[in-house]
Amino acid sequence: MIPHTDDALRMLSQRLMTQLLPDLKTLYSLSDGALIGLLINAIADEVAEGVQRRLDDIAEMRLIFEAGAALLSSGDKEVLSAGLPSYRLSDVNDQHDALTRILVALHEKAEDKKMAVLDQSIWAYLRRHAERHRITAVP
Amino acid sequence: MITTDQVSVAAAEYLAEKWHTPVTVVDVEKIFGGASRETYKLVLEAGGETKGVILRRDPPSSLIDTERYLEYGAYDRIYPTDIPVPEPLFLENSSDFLEQPFSIMAAIENPMNDITLLSEAQKGKVGKQKYVILGHLAAKDPLALRFDEIMTVPDAARAAAEQLAYWQGVINDDEIHPQPIAQAAIRWLAANLPPPAQKISIVHGDYRTGNFLFNDQAEITAILDWEMCHLGDPLEDLAWSLEPLWSGAETALAGRLIPHDQAIDIWCEASGLSCDEQALKWWRIFVSVKAVAIWISSSENFEQGEGKDSILAMAGWVMTDRQNRILLDYLAPALVSEITPKITPEIAPEITPEITPEIAS
Repeated sequence: MIPHTDDALRMLSQRLMTQLLPDLKTLYSLSDGALIGLLINAIADEVAEGVQRRLDDIAEMRLIFEAGAALLSSGDKEVLSAGLPSYRLSDVNDQHDALTRILVALHEKAEDKKMAVLDQSIWAYLRRHAERHRITAVP
Repeated sequence: MITTDQVSVAAAEYLAEKWHTPVTVVDVEKIFGGASRETYKLVLEAGGETKGVILRRDPPSSLIDTERYLEYGAYDRIYPTDIPVPEPLFLENSSDFLEQPFSIMAAIENPMNDITLLSEAQKGKVGKQKYVILGHLAAKDPLALRFDEIMTVPDAARAAAEQLAYWQGVINDDEIHPQPIAQAAIRWLAANLPPPAQKISIVHGDYRTGNFLFNDQAEITAILDWEMCHLGDPLEDLAWSLEPLWSGAETALAGRLIPHDQAIDIWCEASGLSCDEQALKWWRIFVSVKAVAIWISSSENFEQGEGKDSILAMAGWVMTDRQNRILLDYLAPALVSEITPKITPEIAPEITPEITPEIAS
């Protein structure tokens, strides 16, 4: 049993990089292994925080949609009315993608209709989204 | 999956047939980071001589979907000019020898490409050469070099729009998740197209630190990786070379070598072309979108393709993250994250009045 998956991944990455890589014979394998080690660390962060980061995005996007409700189509509203089937990463991802597609369309409408406050609110969300998902495990 | 031993045997057999002399492979090494092609360096003995060659083999998945004949054709046409490139030797389009097509080029002697090994003075020297060479490339007549035989010649007034449409298509075709930042950037680019290109030039397509070799005298000996070469606006290469992604923490330096203004001045003098500030701004945002497309495409290759190269995963995930933040720096209204608070139910009413009945309909 692995009680803390993210920590386990970080420990395995450390073992890969400090104990296994030095025994590899070619520069190619060494470089490939080192990159895989770094990516495992990034995956560990995602395992730990990925669902919550997406839920934070979803909550913020829903507030933007509430504010811009008059611009949403009936299809958009139907998507937004659906709840989250589970907290599996795949389900959270699917809902995040569905809402992001609506956001892209809403952003375009806000630009076309020169709605500065809505436009800036979406940009501000995108900045926070980018910061929330910033990958720090790979230098 | 092919081993270096298999590459070694097949390359010796292939070159012996081409050169009509027995060939022995003394050493073979796979080079890491060749994301568009698998790259091998071989040391050979043939006809009493020892020589090095670089073999570039099509992988099952590639970071850049390119035609090998186009890349080889670019090397073939540039090699006789003053632009330093490796000598192209053979292009093999069949899969008979290495299960995939491949090309072979002469290796550059004592190659270096890690600029962190250079002194500050040497970085300045390499940086100046980098932009003189790029200026000379921009100044060339692509038709005189027969580039029209291997690629289309765009109309100067349509070059920017055509490039935008191409890379927008790559994003739309390959995105695994929706890309709100890149899509906003594409809308901005479409609404703010630059003036027609001053001339149609040979565009390297990936002109950056890391894609050239130099010697121990800090002299550039070869410009590499022409797989995205096309004809178009020369400002595209200049913009790509200035992309913040290649500067790391040294944001004031173009490709971590020389200041941006100096790079632009050298390029203008060497090319005889001008650099319109607004046009360059367009191309700088465009190249960031192009980069997102490449990173997204590598994600798609990693997820759907046969190749599971770590560099594809790295590009698709980490580079997209960084590129999105670069695009935000270009496009998000100034200090927007500081002055615009997160929307809450209390703030939402500020937005709602913008949506008049006319707008909503």
